[in-house]
Amino acid sequence: MKSTIRRRINSLTNGWLIVSLVGATVLLLPVFAILFSVFSAPSENWQHIKEYLLADTIGQTLLLVTLTGLFATLIGVGLAWLVAAYQFPGKRFFRWALVLPLAVPPYIAAYTYSTMLSYTGIVQTTLRNLGVTVTPGLIDLLSMRGAVFIFTMFLFPYVYLITRSFLERQSGSYLENARLLGRKPLAIFFRVVLPISRPAIIGGVSLVVFEVISDYGVTSYFGINTFSTAIFQTWFGMYDLSAAVRLAAWLMVGLIGFFLIERLLRRQQRYSTSTGKLNPLVPKRLRGWRSVLAVLFCSGVFLIAFLIPVVQLVQWAMWSFQDVWHAEFLQLATNTVLVALMATAVIMVFAVIVANVIRMQRNGFSFTLSKLVTAGYSIPGAILAIGVLSLFIWLDRVLAPVYAQFGMVEAPLVLSLSLVMLVFAYVVRFMATGYNAVESGFEKSGTKYTEASRMLGHGLTSTFLKVDLPLIKGAVLSGAILTFVEIIKELPLVLLLRPFNFETLATKTYQYASDERIVEAAVPALCIILASSLSVAVFHQIGKRVER
Amino acid sequence: MKRYKLIPTLLAGVMAAGLLAGCGTKEETTPADSEPKKEQIVNVYTARNYEVDGVLYKQFTDETGIKVNVVEGKAEELIERMKREGQSSSADLFVTVDGGVLNNAKEAGVLQKVESKVIDEQVPAHLRDTDNQWIGLSTRARVIVYSKDRVKPEQLSTYEDLATDKWKGKVLVRSSTSLYNQSLVASLIELNGEQKTEEWAKGITANLARNPEGGDRDQAKAIAAGVGDVAIMNTYYFGAMLNSKDQEEVKAAQQLGVFFPNQDTNGTHVNISGMGLTKHSKNKENAVKLIEFMTSEKSQTTITQANYEFPVNAKADRPELLKTWGDFKAQKVDFAKLGTYNKQALLMMTKVGWK
Repeated sequence: MKSTIRRRINSLTNGWLIVSLVGATVLLLPVFAILFSVFSAPSENWQHIKEYLLADTIGQTLLLVTLTGLFATLIGVGLAWLVAAYQFPGKRFFRWALVLPLAVPPYIAAYTYSTMLSYTGIVQTTLRNLGVTVTPGLIDLLSMRGAVFIFTMFLFPYVYLITRSFLERQSGSYLENARLLGRKPLAIFFRVVLPISRPAIIGGVSLVVFEVISDYGVTSYFGINTFSTAIFQTWFGMYDLSAAVRLAAWLMVGLIGFFLIERLLRRQQRYSTSTGKLNPLVPKRLRGWRSVLAVLFCSGVFLIAFLIPVVQLVQWAMWSFQDVWHAEFLQLATNTVLVALMATAVIMVFAVIVANVIRMQRNGFSFTLSKLVTAGYSIPGAILAIGVLSLFIWLDRVLAPVYAQFGMVEAPLVLSLSLVMLVFAYVVRFMATGYNAVESGFEKSGTKYTEASRMLGHGLTSTFLKVDLPLIKGAVLSGAILTFVEIIKELPLVLLLRPFNFETLATKTYQYASDERIVEAAVPALCIILASSLSVAVFHQIGKRVER
Repeated sequence: MKRYKLIPTLLAGVMAAGLLAGCGTKEETTPADSEPKKEQIVNVYTARNYEVDGVLYKQFTDETGIKVNVVEGKAEELIERMKREGQSSSADLFVTVDGGVLNNAKEAGVLQKVESKVIDEQVPAHLRDTDNQWIGLSTRARVIVYSKDRVKPEQLSTYEDLATDKWKGKVLVRSSTSLYNQSLVASLIELNGEQKTEEWAKGITANLARNPEGGDRDQAKAIAAGVGDVAIMNTYYFGAMLNSKDQEEVKAAQQLGVFFPNQDTNGTHVNISGMGLTKHSKNKENAVKLIEFMTSEKSQTTITQANYEFPVNAKADRPELLKTWGDFKAQKVDFAKLGTYNKQALLMMTKVGWK
């Protein structure tokens, strides 16, 4: 018994655990700063918020999240299954192209679609020219309806990507058995595909949910009261940052609670393969009307969620190109990509370390830690930005004597005026994107190989490099794509935490969009989409090589 | 054993690279306090996200050799940032688009008094803070825009009138989260008192043609589409629509007329955008020079030509569109009051269900 404990301690007291704990503590500083506000005395506005705002806010947030989660799951898992399990014309293209909607920032999509569908937009204008008058409001992106549509169409790839990579590698034996036992495709989808890919789906859906909850651009434009809009109303309208932070803290508590419950509910179920053999799925060829249907479904989604808005943006970009385009755009693109690469690298390395330590521990503490490390995703960007800002200004004050050694006088701000602060904030905020992917990778590979390797005398690190890493390469890669694309699109953090004159494509787009100039915003918005799409394509190429 | 250190070392390496890269950028773009004599600079925190401001900053640098460093963001966030940075703050100027927010910045203690005869001459006193802690840069009127087909201008009179039964189901306005609406309601609280304003807000909410959605331009388009007949919106958005690159938007705007309300009573609600010298400014002289430059006749003409805002400098040459609207009587409400009543305005709107 004693030796077991000692061995356990020995096996864990190593660089891995230390790096995880130190890193997690640093990441958690701003998160804790926000959580602590729950314990402080509420300000006078809190009463008003509870009385007039909270019920509507919670109701609308839940409705929005539930509907979006549901549709994103159906579309995401449906497409993932189709692409993973079947062979049909254009599949090679759709396999990666269906990730592209992620390249379009939801608030840009919202502006684009609502302008297209507005009175002056292409749809109604064309209809008018044909002599058809549209009843006002009929095809309008009315509040809730529009938001669910936008979030579903532009966020479902989270579910799609994670689920597809799971199905392609893991589900072979299940699906083949189900097929052999004569199940119909629809039954297989609901009885086999959905249940076995649950960890992957939950990983993907939780990203969608986080994204929807912390969104401000789309919801404030469509006039929906979510937690995020309530938070900003409290801060900007009532000048009450502490009440706003309090709201954010309760939101975070609620989300962590939600995931704890979800975890408890599936505690008994294990999802790693029971046989030692990985059995990749062999796609079945679709024929006749089935293959037509598959192509229609994939191309329909691709049209709506990528091609149509992009073509519209291209048209606007042509109108405004001459006025908007400057040589600096190249600089903007370089800035955007470099800072995103930096943050993505840190996130992926750290995500792998923490996820590895946590899966070795497998207890309540490690689970809570994993949820805390990823909690940054649920905090609206601007609130998190304030937490990070305070941390860095404090750090600069502490470091002032050091700066003085280099001849800088009167307590200068060094770190908080540098890119370090922004990169740090990205890491706190987007840890979840990288981590969820890695975690689901570990979940499906199980611990059997790791245990075998340890038993054969290999250390944790050597096992990790030789056994674990090759197994989760795919997951790490998809995590990296998601994270990178997220950072390129991100707005609130970069807006508040960037150094002087540090413009990115997102801040440039914001400059126009915030002034309701969607035609002018089209050029930088397209640059974001192009940069993200290219990165998806590049990662896809690397991915193919990794899989070979 | 060596492998044990690989991952931590890798992580440390990446972090260090980030740090270096970050510091690298800092040296290039943000002159540190330790080298103030090398380069003349002025650091601007701005919530005015207009292209024309950047053009003017560039002209300023060309004329004076003083480099303008800019961070754009949302006003409230920038104020919070200055508060937290305290005396280490590197901001010299704070620029934003709402009188209430300017006053909020003043009360947050992040601004200081500007002393300059040039500015006093260029900007009339009522468009400056009473203590000269901020200086007006432009003004914008929140007017009533109406359908030329369905509404005769004679039917329109005041903001107050829009809350009467006459306009049931015909009014369009964006949501209560819009600062422009909050300031409008704040001004009415100052003029008509709290009770009357609450009744007014209730009346407007009851008269809405649809739930508030979209921005100011979307309200104008909704009139063109026949959703409603009248909308409350800022003049410069209307100017921008008439001169849009999107021909359909131009056509829609041409169906609308602009009405300056309350001409026989308190005047049309006006808001101000302006700039203030920050309390811990380290380039004070340069900052004052930039304010002088921005409020000069030439710069003011540039601003109003590009953005259809009203200039604060009376000598500026207005674009034709503004001239056709003619002169109008503006509210005499002290801009500081917009900040004073902002919170009350928002509470009131959420209470009566103005989404």
